[in-house]
Amino acid sequence: MSNVTAAWTALSPALLLGLTGLALLVVDTIRPNERSNTSMAVVSALGALASLSVTVWFVIAGRGHVDAGGAITLLEGAVKVDTLALFFTAIFASVTALVVVAAHDYFHDHANPAAFYSLTLFAATGMALLAVANSLAVVFVALEMVSLPSYALVAFLKKNRGSVEAGLKYFLVGALSSAVFLFGISLVYAATGSLVFGEVASAVESLDALAGVAGIGIVMIVGGVAFKTASVPFHFWAPEAYEGAPAPVSAFLSSASKAAGFVVAFRVFTEAFPLGASVAAGIDWALAFAVVAAVTMTLGNFAAAVQEEVKRMLAYSSIGHAGYALIGLAALSTGSAGNEAVMGAAMAHLLVYGFMNTGAFLFVAMAERWGIGRTFEDYAGLARRAPVACTAMAVFMFSLAGLPPFAGFFSKYFLFMGAIENGFLWLAGLGAVNSVVSLYYYSRVVRAMFLDDPATPSALDAIDVRPTALYAAVVFAAVATVLLLPGFGPVIEAAEAAAAALF
Amino acid sequence: MVDAFAYVPAVVLLPFFSFLVALGAGKYLPKGGAFGGIAATAGSFLLSIWIATAVAGGRAYDETLYTWAAGDQFELTFGALIDPLSALMLVIVTLVALLVHVFSLGYMNDEGETGLPRYYAGLGLFTASMLGFVVADNLLMAFMFFELVGLCSYLLIGFHFREPGPPSAAKKAFLVTRFGDYFFLVGVVAVFATFGTAAFAGEGSFPALAEAALAGSGDVWTPGGLGVETWFTVVGLLVLGGVVGKSAQFPLHTWLPDAMEGPTPVSALIHAATMVAAGVYLVARMYGFYALTPTTLAVIAFVGGFTALFAATMGVVKDELKQVLAYSTISQYGYMMLALGAGGYVAAVFHLTTHAFFKALLFLGAGSVIIAMHHNEDMWDMGGLRSKMPVTYYTFLAGSLALAGIFPFAGFWSKDEILYEALVHGLNEPLLLGGYVMGLLAVPVTAFYTFRMVFLTFHGEPRSATARDPEPVRWNVKGPLTVLGSLAVVTGFINMVPVQKVLGLEGIDYLHRWLDNEWGGIEGLSSHHYADIGPYSSGYIAGGEVPTVLVGAAVSLGLALAGLGLAWRLYNVASPTEHTAKLGGIKDVLYNNYYLDELQVWIAYRTEDIAGGSDTFDQGIIDGVVNGVSSVSLAGGSRVRRIQTGLVTQYATMLTLGLIALLVVLGLNGGWFL
Repeated sequence: MSNVTAAWTALSPALLLGLTGLALLVVDTIRPNERSNTSMAVVSALGALASLSVTVWFVIAGRGHVDAGGAITLLEGAVKVDTLALFFTAIFASVTALVVVAAHDYFHDHANPAAFYSLTLFAATGMALLAVANSLAVVFVALEMVSLPSYALVAFLKKNRGSVEAGLKYFLVGALSSAVFLFGISLVYAATGSLVFGEVASAVESLDALAGVAGIGIVMIVGGVAFKTASVPFHFWAPEAYEGAPAPVSAFLSSASKAAGFVVAFRVFTEAFPLGASVAAGIDWALAFAVVAAVTMTLGNFAAAVQEEVKRMLAYSSIGHAGYALIGLAALSTGSAGNEAVMGAAMAHLLVYGFMNTGAFLFVAMAERWGIGRTFEDYAGLARRAPVACTAMAVFMFSLAGLPPFAGFFSKYFLFMGAIENGFLWLAGLGAVNSVVSLYYYSRVVRAMFLDDPATPSALDAIDVRPTALYAAVVFAAVATVLLLPGFGPVIEAAEAAAAALF
Repeated sequence: MVDAFAYVPAVVLLPFFSFLVALGAGKYLPKGGAFGGIAATAGSFLLSIWIATAVAGGRAYDETLYTWAAGDQFELTFGALIDPLSALMLVIVTLVALLVHVFSLGYMNDEGETGLPRYYAGLGLFTASMLGFVVADNLLMAFMFFELVGLCSYLLIGFHFREPGPPSAAKKAFLVTRFGDYFFLVGVVAVFATFGTAAFAGEGSFPALAEAALAGSGDVWTPGGLGVETWFTVVGLLVLGGVVGKSAQFPLHTWLPDAMEGPTPVSALIHAATMVAAGVYLVARMYGFYALTPTTLAVIAFVGGFTALFAATMGVVKDELKQVLAYSTISQYGYMMLALGAGGYVAAVFHLTTHAFFKALLFLGAGSVIIAMHHNEDMWDMGGLRSKMPVTYYTFLAGSLALAGIFPFAGFWSKDEILYEALVHGLNEPLLLGGYVMGLLAVPVTAFYTFRMVFLTFHGEPRSATARDPEPVRWNVKGPLTVLGSLAVVTGFINMVPVQKVLGLEGIDYLHRWLDNEWGGIEGLSSHHYADIGPYSSGYIAGGEVPTVLVGAAVSLGLALAGLGLAWRLYNVASPTEHTAKLGGIKDVLYNNYYLDELQVWIAYRTEDIAGGSDTFDQGIIDGVVNGVSSVSLAGGSRVRRIQTGLVTQYATMLTLGLIALLVVLGLNGGWFL
């Protein structure tokens, strides 16, 4: 009995997020007059931070670690808590905390912000569940649990046409993708006779005539992953959803939701479809990821280079970064000792990316809060009025571009080095070329803020408020981005340990 | 017992802190931050003495302190190497730096210069860089501090940046030494590529690996199957490029005379203990490598001997006090290079030591004269200063006697040993013998210009109003002069090899024993090890060692006295006149420094086309490619952007088509459809 209880406590990060969301929903429903934006934000932030603390504690205590008794499984093996799950739960909880804090100022004049907080927390719960999913059925349910609140969140500004339109498009593309994903799962089930990863893996070794069926199913699952991570060709929703959605939601989707897509991919493709067995059966999914990664990073970066609006540029850059992170799956080769390194590097990149990208979108949220326009030109001279926030933004931009001495440099460096050592020089080279392109558009933001003069002297008069919570979230994200540089050693070690458990 | 070696980083860091303090808070401190610098260098000096004592106690230190990059092939590290050589050099550098700081109180503060925090910050960083260079335990670290030394010299030579001369001189010093450093940098990379390490000391150091490779027991990389010995010669010559630049050897010596535009204490520091010394020190530091390649040694010796004579002849006709000293510096470092090339490792270090003291003394003495003369440096406006500034005169005289190599002053012993080594090793080596002959010929020239300078400055009748009533100097000028003056007299006694050889008194060649690890040191970094692996054998004239010693010493002393005597006759008169006209056409050549500056400018113009070509290549091809890439990306980006039409039905179509494409590719690849 106590063993079962202990096993269930391993799920407490996800449970904490879900319970907080439920509590908010209950309060909002039964005492609608007493809710306040501030108390909602505080409660959700506390919930997210509590989840983060428990997760970090588990990581430090070695819970689910190979050395401490291995992964904890629940529900007949359908759920599995290990270092990988905890690593990603930490990303989700951090981003959630940042986003809800920032949302407090963003929705300061919104009529009913309560729904935002509960939806965000439910989505986060879904992500935490995705991280521990060990069966394709759980994966699908959790994926929908992330997606459904996300659609509502994108369309949260009901009176804003852009927001509503983006929400609808997101929903339609999402529905199609979910259908593809589900079809893929059913094909895999047909070929292997199981949904639990371990059993699927053993069945993959003896597919024989069913290899074609399983192969089509697996490619369709790749498609589902591509939707969640906003990778080509399932990326079409992303630019419009990120642009139309309220900026905190964009931050949430492009950082946490994307990472959720990756945790599924990392786990499903290493545990359910081990590369060696898959390739032996003629299903070289690493090749599929290599193609998707190459196209995604190129398309994302090249499209980002020609945008006029900062938020849309960030949307495309987010697609580009999905391409980089996909290298973690693409640059694998059967039995190579470098697999752990490259996948661990991709995880570390997602963690760093969680902070820098969230911070960048939250800066856009701040600009929207000030009401200064959306294009690069509108940001001209901003540093004179808001030097702290602009310095933080410069940190995000340079870190996203992968310039030393920011954390983004190290994560990208380890990622490309891992790819090269696994024999994927071309992929790393393409990534490097794309990084150069990205430097162009990221530096445009910095140039506008610090070097350019405002179009008119009164252009920046709109900056008359200091949204404290937004500032706090942006500065915190910037500090985290900088501190991850000295702290990169433990991060990459934890990530490689998480990856090692998969192989 | 606290370990002295634990404080090695502090020796370097103390002046660095004084740099930070002077830079950050110099404005608010008394004397522009001078006291911080004095305290820091004094601290470093005391620590250096302590470290040297520890070495004398039979110990040595070779530790990697920080690994700043680690790869599969090799690691890039910072470390400290304390052996007899670096311990000795630490003491020299810190002592001279301390005295220069004190002297600066008189030269800069009392003269009411502005920008003092910048000055003291520069001195601090200069000292720190040189100390970092001295303790470096690998070639890359040495290179980095070598470059820092170059940067600091640029900052300090150009200290009076509002006047036209100093910035230009600073630029010249920077560019000319940089030219040599390019070769050095390539050499560093070559060392890494060849040996996979750049460490100076220990089993796995590159001199040790080179020795093993030549003995056939090791395996090293060489480009294109080049012979090991040829390749080592190339690497040695590449590193030598940096040495030639920094130590102002022919043909890269042209920056040094111009560098006299810097404040005089800075000149003292540059010439005696830091920048110029860095080159020679580097060769001494990696002597275990150079000793393996006879060709490099011969080149070093010949260049050194040639520079010694060549620079000395130019010093003969100069009118300005500091210019004479500048050429004497070039010439004296030529002697050190001659010694290194001739296998006289100890002799070179010996001359480095004595020269550090007497040249610092001469520069500070010149500084004292310049204060007295209200910054007029023309010797023809001086004269008769002997009675007005006795402390300066007697110390300057001691320095001059040392420089001229007159028995028993410091310079005599060290120069004599250099010439002796060159002679005994050169009897079988024509190139080396050539170096020896030139070094010998430079002796009377040196004595001549040195005493021409002394007589014109201090003797005879005053030739201008300022010389009749010079400005007095204070303790902070006289103090350093006295210390250095005493050292210029006695330093020679640390290594009286001729006396030992002639009288058979064993054990008075302290420097030999010191550098031979007799008290303490690191295996493989000792003078007898270098002698073992070196290519030279000794030959004697006049039937044996003792007669050779005596003949050599007598010849060089005789030549020095001859030069001195000529200067006495020509210039030690009440009102000396210029005698340069007697030189005829040579005079113009010497005045214009053999037209070498003009030659460099001419070469620069001739190479303009190459530079222009590279520029076209850079602008057209490189930038063109970069610009092309960006245009292509922007055009490509616009196309990609057009895919995003905003119509969700098209999205669904493209999404489906994309998935099918992926399916087909993987299916064909995996043979699912068969």
